[in-house]
Amino acid sequence: MSVIATSSLTRRFGDVTALAGLTVELPAGGVIGVVGPNGSGKSTLIRILLGLIRPTSGDASVLGEPITDPTRYAARVGSMIESSAFAGGMSARANLMSLAHLRGVQTSRVDVVLAQVGLLGRDREPVRQFSLGMKQRLGIAMSLLTDPELLILDEPTNGLDPAGIVEVRELLRQLARDGRTVVVSSHLLSELEAICTHVVVIRYGELMFAGPMAQLLERTIAHIDFMPEHDGDAAALADALANAGWQIERRKGAIRALEAAGRAGDLNRAATAAGFTLAHLVEARDSLEDVFLSMTAGETSAAAGVNA
Amino acid sequence: MSQAFRSELTRLGQRRVLAVWFGLTIVLAFMINAVMATVVGQAGTGNLPTPGVAFPTREQLESASGVMAGLSAASSMFGLVTLSIWAWFTAQDYSSGLIRVLVAAEPRRWPLIAGKVAALLLATAVATTIAAFATLLAAPLVGASGVSTAAWATDAPRVVIEAWIHAYLAQVVWGVLGLAVAVLTRSAMVAVAIGAGYVLLFEPLIKMVGNAPSDWLLGTTLNTIASGGTPSIQFGTALGLGAAYVILGLMLATWVLKRRDVTD
Repeated sequence: MSVIATSSLTRRFGDVTALAGLTVELPAGGVIGVVGPNGSGKSTLIRILLGLIRPTSGDASVLGEPITDPTRYAARVGSMIESSAFAGGMSARANLMSLAHLRGVQTSRVDVVLAQVGLLGRDREPVRQFSLGMKQRLGIAMSLLTDPELLILDEPTNGLDPAGIVEVRELLRQLARDGRTVVVSSHLLSELEAICTHVVVIRYGELMFAGPMAQLLERTIAHIDFMPEHDGDAAALADALANAGWQIERRKGAIRALEAAGRAGDLNRAATAAGFTLAHLVEARDSLEDVFLSMTAGETSAAAGVNA
Repeated sequence: MSQAFRSELTRLGQRRVLAVWFGLTIVLAFMINAVMATVVGQAGTGNLPTPGVAFPTREQLESASGVMAGLSAASSMFGLVTLSIWAWFTAQDYSSGLIRVLVAAEPRRWPLIAGKVAALLLATAVATTIAAFATLLAAPLVGASGVSTAAWATDAPRVVIEAWIHAYLAQVVWGVLGLAVAVLTRSAMVAVAIGAGYVLLFEPLIKMVGNAPSDWLLGTTLNTIASGGTPSIQFGTALGLGAAYVILGLMLATWVLKRRDVTD
């Protein structure tokens, strides 16, 4: 069963197309990443799913209910869109109480979600005094008030320091372990690599990839980076190995042999046979970010100008 | 709607906001009575062409209703404060991004407006009560300027209650207009600027134009409601016009909130 399904979902802002006929299904369970560069349409997609904006054309459903009537699923979905939002002059507790009243939730849930995000003890301080990390945690607490089946979080680690990012990641993992489906957007695939079970990559409103994270990881290509003892020999070494049938790519500070998984010894012997001594030799895979960049690279689109 | 009302009431309970609102109300009440005392003492009559304030005549001040004259005289100024608070409270949803959370929680949207209006109606009732008390406390300033206060005690409870009702109704119209402009512009500053510009500049200028039909103008209408009717406009007529402003403002705000994309 899919928690979110879209069909030819399109949204235009004037001449700019933020979503261009997006068709995708997100499975239930786990942490699902929605990734794309800034202006790719992630936030537009999330806003449409939450009923904040209407699509120009196309259909979508959330938890099996059509987005034309968000009242049918609003109570089952928690969300944080872009930055967390609250009344800065009020305490975290008062902000949560206000939302609990609006959601028709027992106020006892306020203590539960405060404990869940680790804000108990700081909950009576004005939110304006909170650090960015605490504000993000409060935003997540607000999204958890109804104990939702589905959480949609738009860039929840935006602006956080490394410690804050680790904290939020662990929280998202925990929420997924509790049985929820967590949909989290980011413009960095590497940020989601550690936590996502499934990933959707979009660029300028078009689907680039949708599938399990493991499937995406298969796209990373093994390679060997190496350098001769003397930098001046680099060009000659690269030519010699290319002539010997290796796929060679010159890079800044290194030579790269592509599609060379498990062949470090062969390469070392080939270099020695050609009369070169290697001073540096390391086997590695392309990073997910490289894969992401190769998928999302392209001409600058007008969509980049939209806060989408 | 009751859920939205409770939610808005929680947010409206911010002490700083209430302190500014109620504080300004008290200051205005004392200020207008002090100015009335000075004007009556020096000129002996009211009706000076002061933007936002309709000074009563000496006869009006010396009547039974004179004790609460300050409340209706500064109706537009109180109204400006009410408009500003309603507008600020509404626009804050947009400037803080809270509107995203609210609409995601209540996709029907109209209960958000209804709940906010209900909470602000309650707070406006408190503000009007404070204004009435402050006016009562400040009224001796006028008495000290040589105005006869003999009639003030003759029917005081009725006068105070009527003055409260009239002032409250006028404040509600101001507030709803502030809310409507804030929903339209998503900015408290713009809403307040429009309100102040209208009360202090536009309407006085219109009135200065000879033979201009000014009875239906907003400030005049609301001053008429606040003072319980004038010789030229009956209270019922002004109330009907005020109600039309409220209905129009609420319909516009609700329609805009329901139709507009939430991109803030």
